[in-house]
Amino acid sequence: MKAYQEKAQALDALMFEKTTEYEIGRRHLANMMGEDPETFTDEDIDTAIEYLFPSGLFEPRARPLMKHPTEVFARKKVAEFDETGRPFHVLFYTGLPNYYQVLHDLSEKVRELDSFSDRMMQYNIHKDPERTLNVGGTEWVKKEQLEDILLEKLKDKQYEFFVRSMNRLLDHPFSYRVEEFIMKFRKHVQISVIHKEIPKLMFTAEGTPYMAAVGRRKTSTASVTVYGRGSGKISINGEDLLYFKYIQDREQVLFPLQFSGLLGKVDVVADVDGGGFSGQSGAIRYAISMAVRSFVDEQMMEKMRLAGLLTRDPRRHERKKPGWKGARAKYTWKKR
Amino acid sequence: MATLGKKLFILSVRMGRGLWHRGIVSSSNPVQSAVEPLEKLQESSSDAITEQMAKSLKYPDFFKVAELFTVEDLFNARVHLGHREGSLNDHMSQFIFGSRLSHLIFDLDQTATLLREALNFTAHIAFRGGIILFVGRIPQHQVMIENTAKECGEYAHTRYWQGGVLTNSTIQFGSVIRLPDLIIFLHTMNNVIYEHTAIRDAAKMLIPTVGIVDTNCNPNLITYPVPGNDDSAASISLFCNLFKAAILRGKEKRKELLGVH
Repeated sequence: MKAYQEKAQALDALMFEKTTEYEIGRRHLANMMGEDPETFTDEDIDTAIEYLFPSGLFEPRARPLMKHPTEVFARKKVAEFDETGRPFHVLFYTGLPNYYQVLHDLSEKVRELDSFSDRMMQYNIHKDPERTLNVGGTEWVKKEQLEDILLEKLKDKQYEFFVRSMNRLLDHPFSYRVEEFIMKFRKHVQISVIHKEIPKLMFTAEGTPYMAAVGRRKTSTASVTVYGRGSGKISINGEDLLYFKYIQDREQVLFPLQFSGLLGKVDVVADVDGGGFSGQSGAIRYAISMAVRSFVDEQMMEKMRLAGLLTRDPRRHERKKPGWKGARAKYTWKKR
Repeated sequence: MATLGKKLFILSVRMGRGLWHRGIVSSSNPVQSAVEPLEKLQESSSDAITEQMAKSLKYPDFFKVAELFTVEDLFNARVHLGHREGSLNDHMSQFIFGSRLSHLIFDLDQTATLLREALNFTAHIAFRGGIILFVGRIPQHQVMIENTAKECGEYAHTRYWQGGVLTNSTIQFGSVIRLPDLIIFLHTMNNVIYEHTAIRDAAKMLIPTVGIVDTNCNPNLITYPVPGNDDSAASISLFCNLFKAAILRGKEKRKELLGVH
């Protein structure tokens, strides 16, 4: 028990020493950079080190760095009992005091909300639609993050039980009253969709709007210009739509215009090279779709995205392997 | 101060064990008509403390826990209601008053006597600064039990019982810890069929136990069994409040007479 106490005290002393060292280092860096030591933030420290100690190493974690001791040394639990041996936490003997304390608080909050809703029922208020808790763009903390918050190792079942219980609290009609408690365990999700900027329409000398785009499919490349205020003329390598012998290829070229409703309203001039008829028609289709984005509103663009018009088809010719008949096909297997 | 704490710790363990071996404290000593007011300590010397502790054992009800409840309170909290006749544990038949429409009824006079002894023992343990652990495994009463423990400054364990908590504590908790000096069971059963592991483990580790035993429970390994209903929120609430009151009385006297925190 005494050894445990001594360890805790030693940790405290170490943290204090390292923190003072860090602060002195911060002031030195600020002076070196000619900045005000009082307002030198952690980001300023990072930029200062990058400037003063340039490193050619590729791995970012191998480069010189100076972080606050709390980030470098993993947080550990402080001494859990006093010199008479009595633990500080009520739930110490459960082995996971912080975890079970959270569950206890959760139960209490559910009871609080239930009694509140009972009182509201007297006034016939079942749920206030204006004051619902908004958790859009957030999700429950992951198991590792919860372990970091609680400083306790959890089993998967215990984490799942925690999430189920928190969901129960969240689903309560009056959960907005305990927003602070819930938000402690929710973190914001990174928005994965990167909105590409759609280029604005350009104008010719006469004033007709146009948009140019490049599309590729298999080994073909097509560069296409779509002119607004047109009558539906299509020109491919100087020729008509009949450049393509097969109806499927012609349909491929016309599909983006038909889908967006610009079939007789725009002119298309396309230059295509490489590959065969299927690849060329696919390349033109993709290029037209990308150009049409500038003519069309956001809703239609989303519809086009859902239709697959804005996806670059990544399929390429797969090579034949030796000992196989083709790319995947094998020769007839004989049992004997 | 550290040595004092250590002495109290050793004393409390010895006293606790002594009391446990002796069985029921109150019955072996003559009844005193009035409780003599003990002088407050001028200096906290260890001899004076030992003297105070020895003196406190001379009274059958030093903390007057008998005032905390009446048989009527037990009745109103529905403590007398047992389960059906079919689930009766044979060891509990001595505490049964009878049955009504095959529902068993506890003899509240016996319950009252045993409850007073249990409360008295609890108060003595609290007086000596012992660690008291409340245990109960029924989810409906978990929060109530944990709150009771918090309010009297003791400890609670109403969650999944990891095997080595008492018998393998050094490895379980990562360091040498002080084990509870008394375990109070608000529910002796884990679920419908099985007994709580802590009953057997406490007996192994020579930790005295107080337990509310219902008609389907086995009171054998429990030091101070209290026959009564453990299924109603009202009865559990009453028991929680009684134990809390006893512990707080013990601590009050501790502060007053021993001058310790």
